[in-house]
Amino acid sequence: MATQPPVSAPDEAGFSSQLLQSVNRRSFLRYSGMTAAAVGLVLAGCDDDDNGSSMPNSVNLGTGNVGILNYAYALEQLEAAFYAQVVSNSAFATTFTDAAERTALQAIARHEAIHRDFFKAAINRDAPGNIIADLTPNFSNINFTSRTNVLETARIFEDLGVAAYNGAGRLIDTTTAAGKTYLGLAGKIVSVEARHAAQIRDIISLGTFSNDVVNALGLDRALTPTEVLATAQPFIRETINGSNLPS
Amino acid sequence: MNLFKIIAELEKVDPEVTDRLNSRRSALAALGDISKKITLASAPAIIGAAFNKTLAQSSGSPLNDVLNYALLLERLEAAFYTQALQATSAPALVASFTANTGLRTSIEKIRDHENAHVALLTAALGPNVAAAPSGFDFSAAFGTINNFLTTAQAFEDLGVRAYKGQAGNISRTAQVAANTSVTVTNAGQSSTVNIGGSNVLQVALQIHATEARHAAYIRYIRRQTAFGGVSQYGWITNAQSNGAPTAVYAASTTASLATDFPAESNLAQGGVADLTTGLTASPAYTAAEVSEAFDEPLDSTTVRGIAGPYIRP
Repeated sequence: MATQPPVSAPDEAGFSSQLLQSVNRRSFLRYSGMTAAAVGLVLAGCDDDDNGSSMPNSVNLGTGNVGILNYAYALEQLEAAFYAQVVSNSAFATTFTDAAERTALQAIARHEAIHRDFFKAAINRDAPGNIIADLTPNFSNINFTSRTNVLETARIFEDLGVAAYNGAGRLIDTTTAAGKTYLGLAGKIVSVEARHAAQIRDIISLGTFSNDVVNALGLDRALTPTEVLATAQPFIRETINGSNLPS
Repeated sequence: MNLFKIIAELEKVDPEVTDRLNSRRSALAALGDISKKITLASAPAIIGAAFNKTLAQSSGSPLNDVLNYALLLERLEAAFYTQALQATSAPALVASFTANTGLRTSIEKIRDHENAHVALLTAALGPNVAAAPSGFDFSAAFGTINNFLTTAQAFEDLGVRAYKGQAGNISRTAQVAANTSVTVTNAGQSSTVNIGGSNVLQVALQIHATEARHAAYIRYIRRQTAFGGVSQYGWITNAQSNGAPTAVYAASTTASLATDFPAESNLAQGGVADLTTGLTASPAYTAAEVSEAFDEPLDSTTVRGIAGPYIRP
């Protein structure tokens, strides 16, 4: 198969495995994934007596173009849930004392919610019955009152989203009109994710918009679904199965 | 006769063959029709003629046209940043960079990326590369640092739209020729990379994302008081140009293309006429939020019209 230009080694794996440690099963947050920002928040505690209900389910993304749409929908659910929790945290204003930073995060939260809701509507319309379930995020190792921790997690999600869309473009079957539309939509969204990624990075440290993600050829990363899901999985309760996606 | 096998063999030497035939199914239908009417002995020649006819309709030049168009824009951007960093061409800017080394480092990084894109596209095109324009004229942008940054924002946001506008014109199986090497320089360090076999659509998307990162940085730096205090973030709100030419954020200048290439304020996506009413949310999504969440493609005629004044043919 094609020899791809080298991409910078991601540091996500190390970060993720760190986050995986000491998962707190007693309190995790479940998002409905359907409504905006602060609304869909339901606290679902699970204890050790709760037979089976805490066992993660497997979610199969499916095949073909619908599989790619579900793949994007899964990632957008994750991002939207993350930012919803960031901006709805009671300590948001003291964690982010700069009003411009708060405005930026609130805007990104809305963008990701729009992406999520749009994919949900598109999949339900174009492939009824094939949409994946609402995912349950696992943010138990994110400190939402730490500006640094929130921004670093945002950076990981945004960089990952860019690499995911970049890698998925060629997996979309564009022989149909719908397929052409999906590729076009991926293009419309991926550049917004790249804008988010650069914005978050420049908030962390001005001028780092492309550090370690754009290689010597001036190329941003492109990752396969397998690579992307390996990084995203620790943040999702359900086991995501992307094995039937086009490759 | 095993038609699947024939096509599979053809795919080995020409991965794009099924794309050229629209689909494997249509190829099979076409060949099936032929096979009913001919004797086995004459089959290979007729099948060969059928494929040659199909291949002749797609000589490969549409892809070269796309890549040469991208190359023109990358040459424009590369020259823009290169000249901006030189005292001979932009003394006022160089003075500003000296006073703000962080900005200079970032502009140098962007210049290196644009130069790499030029080198990459040039190598990918090989013998089909178009001649460079005789020169560029950025004099209007080099008077002050804020003029420069405003024009940089225009070029970057325009570049994002231009690449996006071509995604559908690049076959998802097109590859860079084997053993194509590119030499690039980043922060003064030279390196050579073999891009042979790279998927062209994926590479275009990777460049597209890099341009979007550049755009976001330039937009955000303009937010600083010292650089204009422009009230904007890395993303595009409605079709606000904030000093850049309004055409950069407007719809295609060709009326018949304005549906496929709408203004950045577009609210219709994927067949949903207006996402502010088409999606349920509380509070409802605003037009500004929806416009920010999706970037829009732009056609080559409109892009060339905007870039034209900076290019000496």
